[in-house]
Amino acid sequence: MMDFSLSHDQQEQVEKARAFTKEWIAPKAAEYDRTGEFPLDICREAFKQGLMNPHVPAEYGGTPHTVLDHCLVLEELATGCSGIATAIDANGLSQYPVILAGTDDQKRRFLGPMTESLKFSAYAVTEPEAGSDVSRVKTTAARVGNDYVLNGIKWWITNGSVADWYFVLTRADEKPTAFIVPADSPGIIRGPKEINLGQHASNTVRVTFEDVKVSADNRLGEEGDGFQIAMKTFDHTRPGVASGANGITKAALNIALSYAKRRRTFDKKLISNQGISFKLAEMVTRLDAAKYLTYKAAWLFDRGDDNAREAAEAKWFAADVAMQAAIECAQVLGGYGFTTEMPAEKLIRDAKIYQIYEGATEIQKMIIVGKLMRIKEVH
Amino acid sequence: MISDVRKLVAKVAERFKGRFYGRTFRCPVCHLELAMVDADGNGLMVCPLCGVVLDVEEVYGHAVPVVLEVELYRPQPKMRIHPLATHVPIGLFPFAVLGVGLLLVASVLAPLLPGLAPLLAKAPVVASATLVMLVLSVGLSVVTLGSGLWDWNHRYRRRPYRQIRLKIVFSVLFLVLGAVAIALHASGAVFAASTGLVDLASPLAVILAAAELVTLIAGMVVISTLGHVGGSLVFGR
Repeated sequence: MMDFSLSHDQQEQVEKARAFTKEWIAPKAAEYDRTGEFPLDICREAFKQGLMNPHVPAEYGGTPHTVLDHCLVLEELATGCSGIATAIDANGLSQYPVILAGTDDQKRRFLGPMTESLKFSAYAVTEPEAGSDVSRVKTTAARVGNDYVLNGIKWWITNGSVADWYFVLTRADEKPTAFIVPADSPGIIRGPKEINLGQHASNTVRVTFEDVKVSADNRLGEEGDGFQIAMKTFDHTRPGVASGANGITKAALNIALSYAKRRRTFDKKLISNQGISFKLAEMVTRLDAAKYLTYKAAWLFDRGDDNAREAAEAKWFAADVAMQAAIECAQVLGGYGFTTEMPAEKLIRDAKIYQIYEGATEIQKMIIVGKLMRIKEVH
Repeated sequence: MISDVRKLVAKVAERFKGRFYGRTFRCPVCHLELAMVDADGNGLMVCPLCGVVLDVEEVYGHAVPVVLEVELYRPQPKMRIHPLATHVPIGLFPFAVLGVGLLLVASVLAPLLPGLAPLLAKAPVVASATLVMLVLSVGLSVVTLGSGLWDWNHRYRRRPYRQIRLKIVFSVLFLVLGAVAIALHASGAVFAASTGLVDLASPLAVILAAAELVTLIAGMVVISTLGHVGGSLVFGR
């Protein structure tokens, strides 16, 4: 039997996240977008309200949410500002490899403190010459006694300037190997904040590792496990990324709807023009479709099923829907959609990254086709 | 260092603005920052700068203003006194503060550098000139306040604007601070009439000098804010 309704607990979480978004995120979105500052005050409040680190297991001090619950919350946060939502949520991307492959000691040392006070962590995998093709990472980890010495450059690292530790994918003896690296390790150089097209509140930097000594106790899994750990993480996090895109779509739809219902043109409300009303109908339908794909991918993960295809479908589709919705929102607002005083243009800038990060749209399609090739029929 | 001070001042100003204005948005036409609470029960307001009639609604925490109309007719008296009058207090007050500052520095240096005596002999003139500037500045601010209220009644049709409310409150505050500064300065208890300097041997004179300085600095903050807010109502962003 199918049930599309939210449980009482989920409804409460959504309402809490929505209230937080309306009070803390949306009113400050334009300011953080303009200044590009890291929204530390909002993160502090999000931490206080229990909206950060939703993946940390209870035995390490967390109050774990299912991936579906997390998607519902993240969708609300991103409706206020996807850049700020990314700053709040980016910990999850680096925490999950530890949850997936960390020892009890690693979890205690690195996840536990994140539930006690506001701390950040970052997923450092991408390199200047290794984006979608993660297998090309060149950062080396040379074994020296009981330690490893890391050398390399990680690029576009979200929360890179504020992180207390990094999940780092390297090559140890040519085998992909992952480490947890404390950010205060000597030899780590954090670059300046990148000025990106959108999501200005999100902190993205270059992190350079110069002879950074890491204890073997901080290695995740065995040498050679790194690629699997890094990739498996995405099955968990991609529904969340899709939710962020859905948040943008929801913001675009609501702004366009509010505007179209009040703006007058040719002696009638804007929404009375079929050309405009059809845009809104298409936006809401696409949003529903993107949400259901997202929720299904999350639900499959929570059931313990393989969700790689569904997560890729959700991430690709939701990203495209968000981009389209943001552009249509600006179109509905006309000239006002093109000005920086109205929220539409920011949505366009923010939406674009969803088609690129955590696996570009083309990579998602490769994953989907890869799965299709292994089955005879689609039911 | 300077950028840190600027950041701190900006943060304090932002916090104050948040308290006084509440949630704000920018007029999509002239970019003036407007307070959401100034919209009427139907979410309507007229931008005090460009005159567009805005219907503002909060959507998921985002302020979405819609331009419905433009108020073309805005009362424009031939002689608007307020914009002219406002420059007199704003122009004179900083010089009064500078005068007091110079006199305080001179009071400290006088015993240390006896060679300055011929120069310091002119201190009573500086003290008197400072008093004149203070009196003119604060006195004419009454005209500024009155003409501002007249403008609010006629040009802005007595509509509620946080900016104007802030200007009224700060104008009254400036009058109070100015009156205190004048009283202290004119009393002769701070700057002795004979020397024009503070008698550092008298604890009372030192305390009153500090009080006058603090009052004047507070007055500077108030009048700077008034000038900034007033300027934004004329020139927008």
